[in-house]
Order: sequence, then structure tokens, then C-alpha cells
Amino acid sequence: MSADSGNLVEVGPESEFEDGDAAIVEVGRAEVGVIRADGEFYAIRNQCPHDGGPVCKGNVHKELVGEFEGTGERVTQEYSDTDIISCPWHGWSFELETGIHIGDDRIRVPTYDVVVEGGTVYVDKGD
Amino acid sequence: MIDPEAEMVVDCDWHYQDSFKEIAEYMPEPWSTKYKRSNWDDAGIKQNLSTFFPTSTGDRQNYGKVLREHSNYPEEPEDPERVGEGMDFLDIDVSLQISHLVLNMAGINADDERARAFVEGHVDYMADQVLDPDEGIYGLVPLPYDDPEASLEILERVEDDEEWVGACFITAGASPPLGNRKYDPLYERCEDMDFPVVYHTGGSGLDEYVRAGYQEMIETHTLGFLESNMSQIVSVACQGVPEKYPDLDIVFMESGVTYLPGLVSRLDEEYLKRPEEAPLLDTRPGEYITDFYFGTQPLEVSARNDLLELCFDMIGTDRLLYASDYPHWDFDSPSIINDLPMLDDDDRRAILGGNAIEVFDL
Repeated sequence: MSADSGNLVEVGPESEFEDGDAAIVEVGRAEVGVIRADGEFYAIRNQCPHDGGPVCKGNVHKELVGEFEGTGERVTQEYSDTDIISCPWHGWSFELETGIHIGDDRIRVPTYDVVVEGGTVYVDKGD
Repeated sequence: MIDPEAEMVVDCDWHYQDSFKEIAEYMPEPWSTKYKRSNWDDAGIKQNLSTFFPTSTGDRQNYGKVLREHSNYPEEPEDPERVGEGMDFLDIDVSLQISHLVLNMAGINADDERARAFVEGHVDYMADQVLDPDEGIYGLVPLPYDDPEASLEILERVEDDEEWVGACFITAGASPPLGNRKYDPLYERCEDMDFPVVYHTGGSGLDEYVRAGYQEMIETHTLGFLESNMSQIVSVACQGVPEKYPDLDIVFMESGVTYLPGLVSRLDEEYLKRPEEAPLLDTRPGEYITDFYFGTQPLEVSARNDLLELCFDMIGTDRLLYASDYPHWDFDSPSIINDLPMLDDDDRRAILGGNAIEVFDL
């Protein structure tokens, strides 16, 4: 894959992204958010399947998970290593890597590959 | 349609009209003597000074309209023979008895051992006088769940007795709600024993089920029974009881079926916005809830047919258990199921008996 292959949409210089930053670009007829979390880039459709909210303008954080420790014990909760993004309208939350809703894996926001080449970030249109 | 006389019919919710007078003979001291020296009458529901003021809104016999014998709280102790007579009347082959009096147990707020003493007496009385597997009469052992230690001792007591086929938790009044980890040891034990947990709504605090001031039983009996079951379904599902104890069979009794699509839809909608607050669940709580079993009574046969069909489809005909609630005033006979137009005969057989035989290992 190269930046001039025709499948890539330029997003901006890699150096301008801090962890948690998001940039919105047009990919075909879709709005896509390119997000940096823990040094990795992700791209997902900026449209929540719930009510059409701007998912990519929401907070990026770690998923809070629970563990059953045994009969009578309080369920322990801790933040996992999974990066999620939460739609700012109603809180629907998706794994950044897969776009899958954290409560129901049948719900998914489309994701895209991100390419960083020559210090520039691109989204792969995938077609 | 099937012929109930020719088919196996299992009634999963028969209310044995036990009286305190009889149970007291089996209760441990000091409660046996304390009861006998109190001013409570045979039924134990009424206290002499307060008989004029019912303990729950309205008259269950609808002020003289329901004339069937034993449709109200009995004035005299029940006769065990009447269970067989009632089963013949309804063409029922197997009945699961729950205590009538235990329905009000969760209204006890005192820190005493009344509930434990009552259950111990009830268990011994029923085993001695009423339950008879040869005649298809089994029991669901009521648990004084507010005292988990006592509940575990009672489970141990009945573990090897074939006449007890499940544990009964009254949903009215349970605080904290029944998904709380406080009750984990009971669920673990029931799972080990292969004892289904039967949650049964009840009239405890019915007049003030959420707020005081209702005037008629049409209000409190509708709302209170639903609220008691709904609050516990939400707690049990969201706190992950089915994930903690995956082999535990969970049954909810006596609120009909039409509340379930609404409850499941509301809860699922909430869950998709806040799944991290139910961290043990792998998917929507509604998917766990529709794996529970539900007693059918009081079935809403006056509802639109397409609504009932949707409810049966959502819950699954393999998850529905015929229940009469006999001899209470709003009992359902087996024809309530048999007459439903959207069921085929295999569904009728499953709901009227087959599902219960499997769940309760009868």
C-alpha cells in the first residue's frame, strides 16, 4: 500500500495527534473519525448505530470490566487494556479496534485501516 | 386441543393454605409457645383487634362475588385431603405446593428468628401431613433468605427428601434485592443440589408496594405483584446470577407474561447505554431473562391474541410452566392454556406438564 494508491484519504501529520485526539475526514460519503489511543491509530465511522450521534467526538477510555471472584464476594471491577470510544449523545460504547459494541457483539460500527506513511496519517477507503 | 384428562398436567404453583395453628405444633421453641400464647387466630393473618381492617387492600372474594370454597384465606386450618380433591377438580396429575402463609414473610422487619422458626415448622408439617410423591404432591421449600445461614441449614435438611423439588424465594419485600451477593451461597447450594429457584411474588406490603395511599385491590394487586417480580428479575439478571451459577434453573411465578416484553425491552435499552454497570453479562440482560422459566398464571387471556403470541414467542414455549395458583381467587385452570389458539398440541403438552417434569426432575 502506498499513499498514492488512490485508496488512501489523507488525514494530517502524525505529529499533530496526541493520545485521545480525533480528526474527522470524509471517506466516500461517510464521515470517519481517525483517533489516536495509546500511540495507535484507529478509524471508525462517525455515526452511532443507535441514534446517529457523532461517535468519534466522544471520550476515548479503557473498558471497565468485572470479575466474579467467588460466592458471596463483591464483583471486582478494573479498567482493562481495551480502548473504547463512547458516543457523546447516549454513551453507546465501541471497541476502537473492532467497532464492536461493548455490550452486544452483534452491533458494530464500521472500521477502517489506518496507514501512517512518511509522517502522514491516511485512512484506507477499503475499496 | 388436547384432552387434559388423558395428558400429564403439572401445576407448578399450588398454595397450600397452611395455618399457624398447625404449623405451631412443628415450630421450634420458643416460637411454638409464643405463637400459641399470642392473640393471633388460626389463619395467623389477622389479629383479633384488627380483623376489621384488612392487612391488604380489599377483599379477595370481591365482596361476595367469588363464591368458590377456599378461594379466600381460610378461617379454619386446611385439610390435607383437599389437595387431592382440588387436583381431581382441575385434572392435575402433579402439584408443587408452596406455603400460603410464607407470602407475607418478607414483611417482617424485626431482627428475630420468626421466619426461620416458621419455615422449619412448615417443612416438617408438610412432610408429615401433606406431601406425597406417590400422589404427585411435591413441595417447594420456602427459604428465610434474610438469614442465609438458616436457609442453608433448611436446604441441607430437605436435600435427600424426594418430596421437595425446589426452593421458593418470595420476591415481595426482599431487601437488598435478590441479585445481591448476600444470597450467593443459597444459589450455589441450590445449583449443587439441582434445585430450581422459584421466585414467587407476594402480597407483603402490597398496600404500600412503592407508595402508600392506594384505595382498591384492583390497583395494588395489579401493581404490587408486578413490581415485586420485576424488581427481582432486574436485580438477578443485572448482578449476573445466571453467569455466576450457569446451571441454576430460575423460575418466576405469578405475574402472567405480558409484563416481560416491556421489562426486557426497557432493560436492554438501558444496558446498551450502560453495559459496564452489569459487568458479568456477556450480552443483553433480556437474553438471560428469556432463559428463565415463567409460571403462566394469571394469564392475560383478555389481551390481544397477537400480544400473547408475541409474549409466548419471546419467552419460548419451552420456558413456560402451567401454574394454577389454586385455590386463590384468581386461579387458572389448565383450559386457560389448552384454549390458546396460537399453540399447537406439542406446545400445550410442554406448558401443561412436559417443561415442569424436566425442570423439577419429576
